[in-house]
Amino acid sequence: MSERNINRREFLKLTAVGVAVAAGTRAVTSTRASSDAPKGKHQWAMVIDQSRCEGCNYCTLTCQAHNDINPDIQWNKVIEDGTVGEMHVFVPRPCMHCEKAPCVEVCPVKASYYRDDGIVMMDYDRCIGCRYCEVACPYEARSFNWEKFTGENPAVPEWGTPEVERRPRGVPEKCSFCYQTIDRGLALGLTPGVDPDATPACVNVCPTGARMFGDLNDPESMVSKMLHENPSYRLRENLGTGPRVYYLPAVPEKKEA
Amino acid sequence: MAKKLRSKLVITPWIVWLALLSIILLGGLIAGILVFWQGLGITNLTDLVPWGLWITIDLSSIALGAGAFSLCAGVYLFGLKRYQPVARTATFVGLIGYTMATLSLILDIGKPERFWHSLVYWNTHSLLWEVTMCVVLYLTVLVFESMPIFANFEWLRKRFPKIAMLMERAHNYAPFLAIVGLGLSSLHQSSLGATYGVIKARPFWFKPEMSVLFMLSAIVGGISLTLFASMLASRLTNKARVNDALIERAAQFVGYLLIGYFYFRAWDALSTTYTYDPGRSEGLNFITKGPFAFNFWIGEMLLGTLVPMILLLYKPTRLNHFWRMAALLFVAAGVVAFRWDTNITGLLVLMPYVPGQAIAYTSYRPSLIEVMAGAAIIAYGLTAFSLGVKYLRVVDHSLVEGEHAKVKVEAIEPVTV
Repeated sequence: MSERNINRREFLKLTAVGVAVAAGTRAVTSTRASSDAPKGKHQWAMVIDQSRCEGCNYCTLTCQAHNDINPDIQWNKVIEDGTVGEMHVFVPRPCMHCEKAPCVEVCPVKASYYRDDGIVMMDYDRCIGCRYCEVACPYEARSFNWEKFTGENPAVPEWGTPEVERRPRGVPEKCSFCYQTIDRGLALGLTPGVDPDATPACVNVCPTGARMFGDLNDPESMVSKMLHENPSYRLRENLGTGPRVYYLPAVPEKKEA
Repeated sequence: MAKKLRSKLVITPWIVWLALLSIILLGGLIAGILVFWQGLGITNLTDLVPWGLWITIDLSSIALGAGAFSLCAGVYLFGLKRYQPVARTATFVGLIGYTMATLSLILDIGKPERFWHSLVYWNTHSLLWEVTMCVVLYLTVLVFESMPIFANFEWLRKRFPKIAMLMERAHNYAPFLAIVGLGLSSLHQSSLGATYGVIKARPFWFKPEMSVLFMLSAIVGGISLTLFASMLASRLTNKARVNDALIERAAQFVGYLLIGYFYFRAWDALSTTYTYDPGRSEGLNFITKGPFAFNFWIGEMLLGTLVPMILLLYKPTRLNHFWRMAALLFVAAGVVAFRWDTNITGLLVLMPYVPGQAIAYTSYRPSLIEVMAGAAIIAYGLTAFSLGVKYLRVVDHSLVEGEHAKVKVEAIEPVTV
């Protein structure tokens, strides 16, 4: 009787110690992981000047073509948001590529992950399709492939040619800052944001130059300068997600000019 | 031939019950095949409401399976040994609940063939990863805990007495399994609440008490369902025998637990308005005055908590079988209503991400396919429990398992029934 009690007590003790060690290790590693925000050589960011955006939707269309997106889905949505003076104001919304992205935090299989240049990527081959990322995204930037996208892409070839594979049925997808263009451009020695061949398609196509792209680590880049010289804001900034898409608010004088 | 069959086949309520369940199961099988073949496009889920009926079934079956860990902990760790036969039923109910949850998840994920990814590619930051790991491990614990129950299967006892004996011996490890089960269950029952509680994009969910509420409601609902199922089985068949004094005492305990649960739930609802975070009060209004007002006030608060609390604490109603059963069923249903309301309200209240835009609302109504598959998952649970009662003596309080005192014991001779 007494022997059994001791055994059980010892077992309990061992369990407690085991749990404590596991919890401790986990606490240490997770603190390290969250303080280790990805900071590579480049930190890509997008600046959208609302004074210049006219809501033409060219960015959406070219995005559909370059990334071969199902017409039911938009990675890059242009939303009308009231008026300033007599001009309409628009909010184009790509993926925010957050510094602390809720989708990356919640994904059970690390199918969403950070690249060290700040791009939030999706591994479509690893994703199990649980849609927790969709529930967690504050910007509705993710769309699920409820059905397989077969047939022709109406945006091709008028708005560009597909550069990436179509996503399978059963996974969510989202804007990737055209990582394929950036990577290829960098390999060719080009500068993203300056050379069109290294710049996201939506930035290249914008007829009013409302979209700018570049490296926040480079103080001479267009985005760094624009953010330095102009007041800017980010969407749902209070959540602390740290979006890498900045907006320059519409100013009536600039709008009319 | 047909005549011979007909003369043998006597239509009993048991056959009718099984036939009814088979029809629902068949419907679910068709729905399931359609979902795997055509994809989730045939559901009414959208990008705004990606989690619907199946997630509610998943959450509810895990919550209502919580009787297993709470009663096993009570019996094997806190010394309430006489409740052992109740814990035995709870373990079986838990096993059913967790397999139901697994079924609905397999149906719900977009890439069911990749379900094993969550066991291989770990994201320790993700609540859903933690829940998956815990559920898989706890399901394993439940399988071991149910070994002695399956050892009761007469065919197995006669055909493979040695295997049956070996399975029965798993009972000797019950205290250890109870410790592991308690740990794993505490982790994932609360983490299921935290799965919602950490979503800062949706203020209606974003609060720390989600974990506490999920944990408490699971314990209350899980014990209630086990007690209700035992009582119902004992009324319907002589295969199930209950010790009413045990059930009555446990029901009283549920009554006390309900006071605590009611306190937390009311406090949570009232404190929602303390801070005005855009979206939080809207969520509360949606649930208290909007389309879910009936679910909330009647389903969750009145019938789910207050009425059963009184029925189970007031001795005359507790001693009355009808009122006790009604109270226990209401508690379980209230927990399901809580899961449904919580999941769906957080999704239907749309937070604007464009500055200056107002909060919007969307809607969701499960499609026929979702309902058919969901009904079949529930029918599977009912079938498993019915068969368990009939063939495994799952509800049998006269059955006392061998003492679990020694880890090494002599093989017990199989009991002949």
